[in-house]
Amino acid sequence: LQRKLRSIWSISLLILLSRYKDRHLHMSVFSQSFSPCGRFLAAGNNYGEIAVFSLSSALSPDATDLSQTPILTFTAHEGPVFSLFSTDSHLLSAGNGEISAWSWAELIKRNTKAAWTRRPNYKSSLEIPEINAMTVNPTENSLVIGGGDNNIHIMDLESGIFKSVLQGHTDYIHCLSVREREGEILSGGEDGAVRIWDHRTGQSVHCIEVYKYEECARPQYGKWISCLTTESDWMLCGGGPSLSLWHLRSMSPTSIFPLSGCQRQANFYQDMILSVGEGQCVSHCLLGGEVKAQIPCTPHSLNTLALNLNSTDNRVLTVGGSSHQIDVFTNLSYRTFSLSF
Amino acid sequence: MGAVTDDEVIRKRLLIDGDGAGDDRRINVLLKSFTKWCNSTGSPEEGFTQYQRMLGTLAQCEFSMGKTLLVYDMNLREMENYEKIYTDIEQNITSAHDKISECKKEIQRAKRIRKNRQEYDALAKVIQQHPDRHETLKQLEALDKELQQLSHIKENVEDKLELRKKQFHVLLSTIQELQQTLESKYDCCRCALLRQDGLWVCWTVWRSLYKGWV
Repeated sequence: LQRKLRSIWSISLLILLSRYKDRHLHMSVFSQSFSPCGRFLAAGNNYGEIAVFSLSSALSPDATDLSQTPILTFTAHEGPVFSLFSTDSHLLSAGNGEISAWSWAELIKRNTKAAWTRRPNYKSSLEIPEINAMTVNPTENSLVIGGGDNNIHIMDLESGIFKSVLQGHTDYIHCLSVREREGEILSGGEDGAVRIWDHRTGQSVHCIEVYKYEECARPQYGKWISCLTTESDWMLCGGGPSLSLWHLRSMSPTSIFPLSGCQRQANFYQDMILSVGEGQCVSHCLLGGEVKAQIPCTPHSLNTLALNLNSTDNRVLTVGGSSHQIDVFTNLSYRTFSLSF
Repeated sequence: MGAVTDDEVIRKRLLIDGDGAGDDRRINVLLKSFTKWCNSTGSPEEGFTQYQRMLGTLAQCEFSMGKTLLVYDMNLREMENYEKIYTDIEQNITSAHDKISECKKEIQRAKRIRKNRQEYDALAKVIQQHPDRHETLKQLEALDKELQQLSHIKENVEDKLELRKKQFHVLLSTIQELQQTLESKYDCCRCALLRQDGLWVCWTVWRSLYKGWV
C-alpha cells in the first residue's frame, strides 16, 4: 500500500517538475548499485533518473565538493527507478514496467544509450505494473523480476526471452532473493507471504505467512513484507511484521529484532545484520536479536542500503532514502560524508 | 665561471670559519707575529715574551684543533647511532605491519566464530521451546502399552459376545424345536418325556449361560 501511495505521489510530482528548485526537496532515492569494478555508484530516484557517482574520487584525499556530485545524471525511465542491479558488465534498471540495460563501460564514458530495453508479458495491458525488485540467479544466468502484477517473471539474460512466470502471490511483490545452492527463489509481498519457489519446476515449495506468527506480527503496521534477504540457511524478513531471523531448514523464527518502524532493506554483514527503514538511522543488530547500535544519517526515512564488497579500496556502505543526499560510511560506526544527487 | 668558484670559496670559508670566531684569524696573526719575531730587532726579553705569546697562540690553535677532531669523532659516532636506531625502527614498523595483518585475520576469524555461536544460540533457543526427546519417547511408549492393553480387552469382550450370541442361538433353537414337537400330534407319554427332555436341555443351557455370565 505504501509503495502504491508513493508511486501515485511521485507521478503527481513529476508534473510539478517545472519547479526545478524544489526538485531536491521532493527527491527520494529508491535504489542503488555498485559497478563491478567497485569504483562507481549508480543511484535511482523517484523522478526516473539515474546518477552515477565516482567513489574513487569522492574517497580520495584531495576530494572537493564537486566530487560528491554525480559525474553523470540521466533520465532512464518515465516512472521511478525502484530497482537497480549490476551484472559483470551491465547496469540493469527497472522503471515504468520495463527493464533497461546500460553498459558500465559506456556509462563511465558518459554515454547514456541503453544496450537493450525489455518488458515482461503482462496479462493486462491497461495498467502497467511497476517492477519493485530484480535479482539475478547466477547458476541459470537468468534475471528474476517481481512487481505489481503479483507474478515473478524469469528472463534469460543471454537470449532475452522470458522463460517462465511464477504465480502464487495474491498481491504485489516487494522483494526477491535467490538461494543459489538450493536453487530456490524467495519472494516477499504485500499479501504478507514469503514464498519459496523451486526455479526449475516453477512451483511454490513453501509459503510462510509471517504475520501469523504471534512473536513477529505487528497488526498495527500491517502484514506486508518489504525486505527479504538470505544467507545459507538463514533468512531475514520484515516490513509490517517485525524484522525477524528465520532458520529455513526448520521454517521457524529464531530471533525477533525490536526495531520500531518498518524495515525496508536488511543485509547480513560478517557477524552482524544491518538494517534500514523508517527511522533516521542504520541499525546494527546481532544474530541473537539485540540491537547493538543505531547510527544516525541524513535522510529521515531510508529506502536502500548497499555495501561495496567488490573493491578493497572503496569498501563503503551507502544508504539512501527520502532525501537527495546519499550517506556514505567508510567506517560503519559513523557517517563520513554525503553524496548529493 | 669565476663567480661560481668565488661563491664556492666564500661558502667554504664561511663554513670553515663558522664555529669559534677567529681560528683562521689566529693562525694568520700567529704567522704575522712569527715573521715579525724572526725579523725583530728588539730586546731579548721582548723577543722572549713574544716567543711565549706565540707558543700560547700555537697551544690555543692546537687546542681548538683537538676540540674539532673530537667533535668530528662524536658526529661520526652519532651518525652510526642514528643509523642503528633507524634500522631498528624500520624493523619495528615491518613487524607491526605483520602483526596488524595477523590481527586483522584474527578479527575475521573471531567474527565468523561469533556468528556461528550466535546462530547456534538462536537455534538452541528454538529447540529449547520444544519438549525433551526422552520424555516424548516415554510418553509414546506408555501410550503404546495402553493401546495394546485396550485392544486386548476389546478382543476378549468381542470373543465373549460371540460366545453368548452362539449360546443364545442354541437356546432359542432348542426352544423352537420343543415348541414344534409339542405342537405336533404325538401320544401323551412321549409328549411328557419329550417335554421333560426339552425342559432339561433348556435348563442345562440356561445354567451354563448363567454360569458363564457370572
